[in-house]
Amino acid sequence: MSEREVVAEDRRTILALGGGGFTMEPGNPALDELVLSLTAVREPRILFLPTASGDPAAQINAFRARFGGRHCVAAQLSLFSLHGMDRSLDEIVAEQDVIYAGGGSMRNLLAIWRAHGLDKLLIDAWERGTVLAGISAGAMCWFDGGVTRSSGPPEPIEGLGVLPGSLSVHADGEPERLPVWLDAVRSGALPGGWAADDGVGLLFRGRQFERAVSSRPGAAALRVDAVEGELVRQRIEPELLGVGGSPALESDAIIELRQVQRLRQSRR
Amino acid sequence: MEAGNPLLDDYVLSLAASRKRSALPSARGSTSSRPRVCFLPTASGDADHYIVRFYRHFATRCDASHVSLFRRDREGVEGNFAGHLLSQDLIYVGGGNLVSLLGTWRAHGLHSVLRRAWRQGVVLCGPSAGSLCWFAEALTAFHSAPFRVQGLGLLPYSNCVHYGAEPARREEYRRFVGDGMQPGYAADDGAALHFRGKELAQAVSSRPHAQAYRVEPIGGEVIETPLAMTYLGAPVRELASA
Repeated sequence: MSEREVVAEDRRTILALGGGGFTMEPGNPALDELVLSLTAVREPRILFLPTASGDPAAQINAFRARFGGRHCVAAQLSLFSLHGMDRSLDEIVAEQDVIYAGGGSMRNLLAIWRAHGLDKLLIDAWERGTVLAGISAGAMCWFDGGVTRSSGPPEPIEGLGVLPGSLSVHADGEPERLPVWLDAVRSGALPGGWAADDGVGLLFRGRQFERAVSSRPGAAALRVDAVEGELVRQRIEPELLGVGGSPALESDAIIELRQVQRLRQSRR
Repeated sequence: MEAGNPLLDDYVLSLAASRKRSALPSARGSTSSRPRVCFLPTASGDADHYIVRFYRHFATRCDASHVSLFRRDREGVEGNFAGHLLSQDLIYVGGGNLVSLLGTWRAHGLHSVLRRAWRQGVVLCGPSAGSLCWFAEALTAFHSAPFRVQGLGLLPYSNCVHYGAEPARREEYRRFVGDGMQPGYAADDGAALHFRGKELAQAVSSRPHAQAYRVEPIGGEVIETPLAMTYLGAPVRELASA
């Protein structure tokens, strides 16, 4: 449906957050600013999907508070509220530059997206260059699998398989997930993959892991693989993002462009 | 849970109380004399304000609880929600989005639990999406023109809600029934269809002019037949045994 062309693998972007961002770090915009910087669009359209938690007002308000004043067009998509939307899901998804999936129940998230056919629309958008970002359930969903607490105790769950491997989130904040994930990787129930602390983002270009970033000093990621039944662990040191922006990743040209755009808007 | 109008809540509670009296002691689940009522707010995404509204309306009158499928790790009934649902006298399904409701239920195995509950005589009820879900087919509208959705199929009919309030829905429903959707029942806001087994027992209303209809193709034409309505605001005899 989208009029946008399919883009080369290395121009498809996903930022998977182990925790952090506007729902968890109201005072620290570093990860969310990084999200906006991942698109080259001057005034990106960013769509929040709060599906995994059932569209709670608190998440939506936090999203509005974080992105409302920035140079972007921020909106959220509800799959529960019946009113206020007269456009089809594919139309709405196709025009986005960034789509940000919130945390909550990964089981519900996938079931609801699939029931509405939204999973296919999101993968299609990714193939056409829309940046996908997500936290917790909204991060694990893009991988082959993850560890969910949708039914109470942590357990392995299959994801959409856009990214190879598994992801476990909140490695420091919810330590009960990690042993379940390690067991699943050791037994082969889940493929090898990454565990990310709160505040850590894993950046993927196409299906390739590019780098890890962090909004918190000391936070880290872990790469774990099962080799002949033994777990091989490798600590990944993320690049610490400066509070208030990410000059390392956001090019000067884009920053300047946004400033000019802001000026022009304020004169209108 | 209509604001300021308890008539339909009173009606389903009378059905729940009747179920409580008739159930075998082993199936009663508790020794309390009050009916056990569980709210399923799934279709709204377990919206806090809706859960609060449920307790406000029901908590003083029955053993009220709710099952959250979005916060299973930290709220509502923990652990064995299937056993909890099967021990109820009434399961009240809240309104919201039908497609999200059915998708979430399927992911948690609720389809078979609710079917079992129904077979065991637990009273099932709900407005809007909480009505549509029990039927074989339903007309729903979300992000597009109205479209057909398969429900749980406990009732072998189609269903359309908000009938009088949304003229586009009424028109589309009649068109779908003409195009081969199962014949079924349509209800205005404030009108309720009460089924015993698969048969319609009666149509009741909380508003004097709320109407329900049988909608079916007869001789190549879609015929809308108004059902005889019992307005619950007037003195009504023997509600629970009707």
